[in-house]
Amino acid sequence: MADAIRIEAERRTEFGKGAARRIRRADKIPAVMYGHGGDPQHITLPGHDTMMALKHVNAFLAIVIDGKEEFALAKDVQRAILKPWIEHVDLVVVKKGEKVTVDVPVHVEGEAGPETIVTVDNQTLEVEADVINIPESLVVSVEGMEAGTQIHASDVEMPEGSSLVSDPELLVVNITEQISEEALEAELAEAEAEVGIEQDESEDAESGEAEGDAESGEAAEGDSEEKSEDV
Amino acid sequence: MLIPRRVKHRKQHHPDRTGMAKGGTTIAFGDYGIQALEPAYVTNRQIESARIAMTRYMKRGGKVWINIYPDRPLTKKPAETRMGSGKGSPEWWVANVKPGRIMFEISGVNEEVAREAMRLAMHKLPMKCRFVAREGGDI
Repeated sequence: MADAIRIEAERRTEFGKGAARRIRRADKIPAVMYGHGGDPQHITLPGHDTMMALKHVNAFLAIVIDGKEEFALAKDVQRAILKPWIEHVDLVVVKKGEKVTVDVPVHVEGEAGPETIVTVDNQTLEVEADVINIPESLVVSVEGMEAGTQIHASDVEMPEGSSLVSDPELLVVNITEQISEEALEAELAEAEAEVGIEQDESEDAESGEAEGDAESGEAAEGDSEEKSEDV
Repeated sequence: MLIPRRVKHRKQHHPDRTGMAKGGTTIAFGDYGIQALEPAYVTNRQIESARIAMTRYMKRGGKVWINIYPDRPLTKKPAETRMGSGKGSPEWWVANVKPGRIMFEISGVNEEVAREAMRLAMHKLPMKCRFVAREGGDI
């Protein structure tokens, strides 16, 4: 991670849900900043800038309050369940050069061997890193791996300056064998029978028979017409 | 089909349908999910039908997680029965789903396949739903 993302904040004097809703209506986000033994500071952040900054995982923020700059990391972000906006942010004060423990997402790359399913059992790993050098993601390659392979936290390559905090035995990626076609078909057929779903194949077969009947019916009609002409 | 093995009370009151989901609103296991946008009772047959629709489309490629469980019984009185004579007999098992809840998750397939599989599954469910991707993806 490179430079800190600079965000201009205002000090908050009104509290409670009424004040918080007024702030959100003005396209701003109520937030609190705490840490390093200081008193909590209640602030208001600009909505769009904060939303864009928080798109980065573990974004290193420079919060400017009354012209004074403080560095912070987002500790907790409360999002609306169905709407795409942020309701509140908890920021924790950090200092440059400080080591912090953060959750870093795991990214899987490459194609595993044929007839396999790759499952990520733990989507994030706890990592200790310098606050200005937090990795965006931990890359795990599954290229050509066979079924039955398990990648544990200790097997994940850490970027320079970062160390693993999570349990080294923690399962991260599990590569399993795909279910066979016959077994899947049998399982689905049983489930469909239980629910009472008719299979498409039988419908196709029925429609095919119906078409055949229709053709034979036409032929029969044609015959009858010929016969009638003859008469 | 999903049915509880044993319950404390065979006949229960109707579950509360007000409010939003309190938890299970983010994708926890897979890469893509189906999120409820309205409250509804989802029966065990609907859950199973949705799972079958997804699995049939994905074939052997992916993995499906079901995040809801039909643990509430609903009762029904027989047809042409006079009122009274106690509560009817249990007829359905339902999951009480509230808006925001991620009901199904899948992984192991690309987004195009996931979207189509989940579109088919959404047609089996009794409420408006939407396709969601893991944080960092589009919502």
